[in-house]
Amino acid sequence: MNDDSPVSADASADSPADGQEDDQLLPQLVAHLREHRTKLRQEWASRIRDAHLLDAMTPQEMSAETTSVYDNYVEVLETGSVEALQHYARDLSERIIPRGVETQEVVGIVLLLRDVLARSLFEKYQRDFRLLNRVLDAYEPAANRIANTVAVSFVDERERVIRQQQDAIQELSTPVLPVRERLLILPIIGVLDRERARQLTEQLLTGIRTHRARVVVMDITGAPNVDEAVANHLVQTVDASRLMGASVIITGVSPEIAQTLVTIGVDLSKMNTIGDLQGGLEEAERLLGYTVNRQDGAADQS
Amino acid sequence: MNTPALVSILRQGHYLIASIHTALDDSQMIRFQQDLIEQIGHHRSRGVIIDVAALDVLDSFGSLSLRNIAEMARLRGALTVIVGVQPDVAFAMVELGMGTGSVHTALDLEEGLVYLESRVANAVTDMTLGISG
Amino acid sequence: MGGLDGEHDVAALIPMVRRVVGARVTDPDVADDLVQETLVRVLGATQRVEPGMLEPYAIVTARNVVASMWKAQDRHRRNQHRVVDLRPAAAPDENLLAGEEHVAIAEALGRLSERERRTLLAHEVTGQDTRTLADELGSSAGAVAAQLNRSRARLRVEYLLALEQREPETDRCRPVLLALSSGERRRQQEVDAGRHLLECQLCARLSQPLLQRGHPRDDQVRIPIHSDADIVRARQGARELAARLAFSKTDLTVIATAVSEMARNIVRFAAPGEIVAELLEAPRLGVQVVARDTGPGILDVEQALTDGYSTYHGLGMGLPGARRLMDEFAVASEVGRGTTVTMTKWQPEGRR
Repeated sequence: MNDDSPVSADASADSPADGQEDDQLLPQLVAHLREHRTKLRQEWASRIRDAHLLDAMTPQEMSAETTSVYDNYVEVLETGSVEALQHYARDLSERIIPRGVETQEVVGIVLLLRDVLARSLFEKYQRDFRLLNRVLDAYEPAANRIANTVAVSFVDERERVIRQQQDAIQELSTPVLPVRERLLILPIIGVLDRERARQLTEQLLTGIRTHRARVVVMDITGAPNVDEAVANHLVQTVDASRLMGASVIITGVSPEIAQTLVTIGVDLSKMNTIGDLQGGLEEAERLLGYTVNRQDGAADQS
Repeated sequence: MNTPALVSILRQGHYLIASIHTALDDSQMIRFQQDLIEQIGHHRSRGVIIDVAALDVLDSFGSLSLRNIAEMARLRGALTVIVGVQPDVAFAMVELGMGTGSVHTALDLEEGLVYLESRVANAVTDMTLGISG
Repeated sequence: MGGLDGEHDVAALIPMVRRVVGARVTDPDVADDLVQETLVRVLGATQRVEPGMLEPYAIVTARNVVASMWKAQDRHRRNQHRVVDLRPAAAPDENLLAGEEHVAIAEALGRLSERERRTLLAHEVTGQDTRTLADELGSSAGAVAAQLNRSRARLRVEYLLALEQREPETDRCRPVLLALSSGERRRQQEVDAGRHLLECQLCARLSQPLLQRGHPRDDQVRIPIHSDADIVRARQGARELAARLAFSKTDLTVIATAVSEMARNIVRFAAPGEIVAELLEAPRLGVQVVARDTGPGILDVEQALTDGYSTYHGLGMGLPGARRLMDEFAVASEVGRGTTVTMTKWQPEGRR
């Protein structure tokens, strides 16, 4: 190997001499990346465009974010601390996750930046192979760590958002809808497990009291599978509602569900089941109308 | 009544309105049951509303007692409505495996009265028709 | 009257003495003892008392006997801190050697092993710290501290037995008392302390000062079940305890209903018994309810857990119903001795 390479000879201040300590390499890299910031960042942005990553972003947003990522990236190389980058990555994820940005896109852009910067280093040091090796040895672990941090932050954030959404869906999927005075609709959507069936019953019972409901239409068209346990829960819900003075009409009972109910020994003649929601609502009106007619006199008195 | 602090039984026209004001132990429940049945006979009541809103728990004994009251009241010619079963109590009752059988239930006192009005008025009309026809 | 001998006069006083004592002491056994003691004293004094004065003398004596019992009880209560802990090392001589429990403590100490006694006295009286003791004994400070705790626990038990001047009636008594005295809950479970206290009157009495020592347990409620009024107390106690966790109102009612069912079972055919509700921290937050009775036991537990199995007329909701209400449910029953039902409700995850 030729120690007296042209690179080390002509590069004055920022060029490492062969005997230089390895811990001097990273500061030099940082200085290099800062010096060529504009050019490298533009090159990176154009490669992102070519790869069709982050299409959801406008060019202005793209420019702003890439600048931030670039600066954060260099800062990690300089300080060795990923904390600031982590914060930024979380923040960025939070902004772009709702726009449908996927994990591979985020990982993709960070790997692209890694590549752009590595190429630039390669160009700079290519004439001194030993030095180039040492430079890349110093750069790569740091770059990997950065890619890792960004990816993990994104995935964490994504999981958090998903959890949040699931909670929201859970809440939403058992709404007790007051249709009109004294009438509630309870559409059951999605898979019912024990805990959810329990929540549903609790919500319905509280809803009956809040809305002073006399009739509840429970529509199970949207419940894909009703096994024995869930069927038992439905029966309990009907019984509990009755204890509070509300009658329950069940609609959307498929032949399979009817079969399950019969198998577990539910007396279907005691359950008020109607084919579809429309029929159920009509039946509810009839029940309420019947009661309303009867109570007219009493209601006027009170 | 010997236990006015625990329950109250008020007469309102053809109806008796019995309110349980606090958790009852078994002897108190049996006492209440006896008092109420006695009053039904005494006033020749046509309907009974039992307000259980203050009960913290309706276990097997409590549920059975209510059922018994309704049955005995029926034999004495009165229709019983249980009102005020709280959501949590209703939930625990069905998980326990209890209902109130064929006893009628209503949300609260007001709804209970509405129900009695509709049913007892009906019965009176039916009876009148029966006599005239 | 004057012609009759003293013994006959005294016998005539019995109904009156009984009345005086009975008016002040409710426990019939205790009252009996006090009547006997009064009569013995009056009998001893007949020679010194005017025959006509025997009746007032007996009344005064009866009152004095009752009062001296109260004093003794009060003294016992005042001195309970010594049972509580022998450690007030500021004046160990005074605490250990003075007072009327001297004999009891000496006797209790005498029942410890030589090694236990030496270590305990070296620590409590001479004031040697555990490390010095450990060096002398060729052991670790932690081991010495543990041994000291065990010795103290034994000393408390032996002290109480010596004070009562009773020997335990069964060979289960000492292990149970020791477990209670040391406050080791796991050990208490192993020896089934709760059941033994239901069955053994001596231990039930002796356990009082042992259970009262230290900080009262605030994560546990214990409700004795004798009559139907206790059912309401039990379910309300359990509900209040469980309300300290993040249970929903429905959960609390569910727990109270299950407790009500279990307490009712005890009243119906297995009284006396007890309901103990306890907050759990591991493996999750929750509340555990133990229903223990001294009834005939359940011959076929499997069958008793079946819906519709009716043990008393009307409903068979008790066991299967409570099992549905709770998350975990276990029945241990021994025919002729009683049943223990242990049931648990876990706080739903994600609630704080």
